[in-house]
Amino acid sequence: METETIPAIETAPIERPPLPPVFQYPSAVPPSLITQGAEALLYRSTYLLPTLPCALKYRPPKPYRHPTLDLRLTKHRILSEARVLAKCRREGVPVPAVYALDETAGWLMIEWIEGEVVRIRLNEWLQQRKDEGIAEGVDDDRLVRLMERVGRAVGRMHAVGVVHGDLTTSNMMLRPGRHAGPDGDSAVGDVLAGDIVLIDFGLASQSTQDEDRAVDLYVLERAFGSTHPRAESLFKVVLGAYGKSFKGADVVLKRLEDVRMRGRKRSMLG
Amino acid sequence: MALESIALEHLPASHTVHTALFRNVKNASFLHQQLLAGNKDFEYALIDASVIMSRLHALAAAYRAVNDSLESRLRSRNVHSEIVFSLSPNNNIAESFRRFGITPQTTNLLAIKVSTPSSPATATEIQSHLSKEVDGEQVEFSDEVLQTMTDLARVKKIYKLNSTGGGNNGGKKGVNGTSGLGASGLEDERKELEILVLGSMALRGATN
Amino acid sequence: MIAIGLEGSANKLGVGVISHSPHGKPAQILSNIRHTFVSPPGEGFLPKDTAKHHRSWVIKLVKQAMAQAGVSIADVDCICYTKGPGMGAPLQSVAVAARMLSLLWQKELVGVNHCVGHIEMGREITGAQNPVVLYVSGGNTQVIAYAEQRYRIFGEALDIAVGNCLDRFARTLEISNDPAPGYNIEQLAKKGKVLLDLPYAVKGMDCSFSGILASIDILAAELKANPEQRDPITGEVITTADLCFSLQETVFAMLVEITERAMAHVGSNQVLIVGGVGCNERLQEMMGLMAKDRGGSVFATDERFCIDNGIMIAHAGLLAYETGFRTPLEESTCTQRFRTDEVFVKWRD
Repeated sequence: METETIPAIETAPIERPPLPPVFQYPSAVPPSLITQGAEALLYRSTYLLPTLPCALKYRPPKPYRHPTLDLRLTKHRILSEARVLAKCRREGVPVPAVYALDETAGWLMIEWIEGEVVRIRLNEWLQQRKDEGIAEGVDDDRLVRLMERVGRAVGRMHAVGVVHGDLTTSNMMLRPGRHAGPDGDSAVGDVLAGDIVLIDFGLASQSTQDEDRAVDLYVLERAFGSTHPRAESLFKVVLGAYGKSFKGADVVLKRLEDVRMRGRKRSMLG
Repeated sequence: MALESIALEHLPASHTVHTALFRNVKNASFLHQQLLAGNKDFEYALIDASVIMSRLHALAAAYRAVNDSLESRLRSRNVHSEIVFSLSPNNNIAESFRRFGITPQTTNLLAIKVSTPSSPATATEIQSHLSKEVDGEQVEFSDEVLQTMTDLARVKKIYKLNSTGGGNNGGKKGVNGTSGLGASGLEDERKELEILVLGSMALRGATN
Repeated sequence: MIAIGLEGSANKLGVGVISHSPHGKPAQILSNIRHTFVSPPGEGFLPKDTAKHHRSWVIKLVKQAMAQAGVSIADVDCICYTKGPGMGAPLQSVAVAARMLSLLWQKELVGVNHCVGHIEMGREITGAQNPVVLYVSGGNTQVIAYAEQRYRIFGEALDIAVGNCLDRFARTLEISNDPAPGYNIEQLAKKGKVLLDLPYAVKGMDCSFSGILASIDILAAELKANPEQRDPITGEVITTADLCFSLQETVFAMLVEITERAMAHVGSNQVLIVGGVGCNERLQEMMGLMAKDRGGSVFATDERFCIDNGIMIAHAGLLAYETGFRTPLEESTCTQRFRTDEVFVKWRD
């Protein structure tokens, strides 16, 4: 009996959904697609004036979802993302500013953040080190400081009562430092320099529950482990800085241990 | 100083936003009366410029109003009243007129007019009408001039930004290791305030 | 090389015989048979009864599988069995059978991770090279991608598995467990039209189903108490079919969403669905629509492979055996908890 191959169910060329009407009107530079995330298309565009760049996040209808469910989720997510961003910004958490939105049409316009996501910077750096033949595990101050900034940024966000819901190193930007202060994070050629800006609050919610905060950290920990296998140990530094970032952070770290344990148990029957 | 016509990003070319800024306005009471009487010759958004922080602040309101008009979901009478309403952080239309609209006491006045295909006024026509009807000194619609007019305390009160942590550059030590207000601190603070104001407007009625 | 595989981590007992030829030719399935322990409507399968079922059927199935494969004991290179994860008692009964065969036939043992079995069989059957894998069954809900010799878990259910959620709702409705509760939910859902509001619980790439189960159980109880209920929007009478429809639409949307997130995260545009719930045609259709949007493709297997079976254990076990992996008799235990990412995948680059 020869094994026959079961072919793929569907293969088709990519067809991008059209932008909502308002973005089909003229602008100095047409919106350019930056990434297709899981949920949204991210464009670089301009807000009000050709001189003000913005990020346009469009959540097109998902054809796989029931239309009622799709509209409900889209509206809810646009609004909750905007609310959470505005709250964070008011309370000093480094996030993009909210410019404009239309929850029914499924779009949100926010501040454009210069720089690159931490995942890419981190991998660049790890590659650089590998190329230079520096042994793994050798502590580097710049890397440690970056991890501390990550920990503090997450801590600050949790402190104001927001949980991100999808913390990964792809959802953190490293923005070229506007303030080259004594902390000196802007050494020339240092790919790890810059300010952390948390982005993509599409699954964020407002919560001060230790459980929610711990799950946030657990998601980030797994993202570290799955995308930066060699940087796994550095997550300890992130947690260290997090632990000192607000009152109650140590309770969250204790809770994280429970969440991890449950995670390990999860492979058994439900 | 003449009025400025602006083609906002992502609006149809047929919808131009005209702006004119005045100071030392002496006939606010008359202008206010024309709005109350629904005088068709006075189809403007007449805004008290002391609660406007910057060009972006005013233009953001114009953008939203035109966009809502294009999507046929105006909440007030027309696109001009909607511009005033769009400045509001909440859904109370009457209150938005009291807070942002012209009052008999107004001395700094921002007039915004949107020309549309159905009401295609030219910049020259608008300028000559405003020159005739507004008894005041027309000045440049710029951030520098607006800053001399802004009552920051009132803006903060209206948008409930008094207890703010000050955004990225607040008094507390920031998460990225920057602390305190630098030399450019005041300017940064104003910029941050503007950003928070834009956020409040965008989230009008969608607060928690 | 030829291996026999024994699987019994839940209510299916499966035995399969596989042959790997050199030079990268596709594996040959010599036999793949299964016997399912079906519990009465309204009841789940209990470990004790399931283990008893496996004990009484395993010899018959092994004999049958060998006969169908047309191989002799001498042809067999190793005996593969499911080490875990799964239910303790059924796992043990099958492990004991494998040990007995090992001693009787003088063949070496290979303990196999059940999840890795599903993944490897899915890859073999569909030809998917490096897909993001959605593994959905009565006991597991995982989104998996391969990186550096491990199948890494990107997302998973934080409480009960999606298949468990569907099975338990079938019990609430007291519908038949034959051939499978999830299959009967699927058939009912095809007749549903009204989408009822249920919680939607996605956190990053993880999700949770117990809140949804609680909500749909409440809706079912309300429907039982008052069968004349109408949908406030359409005015249509709400039926049991609508409940099944709403449940499927909601939980599958969650699964597709977390899969899409993982694809975006690792930059892959292939999806492979494995596990019993992977047979569901609506889930396959939804996944196909998502993949199409991303310019990718979906691979799914049919009931021979997505439902627990012996051949996948034989296949994954033989892959490990070929790289030198052995399970000594004294270590041939089984375990209820066995994470997919604990397995060192030596046979892949």
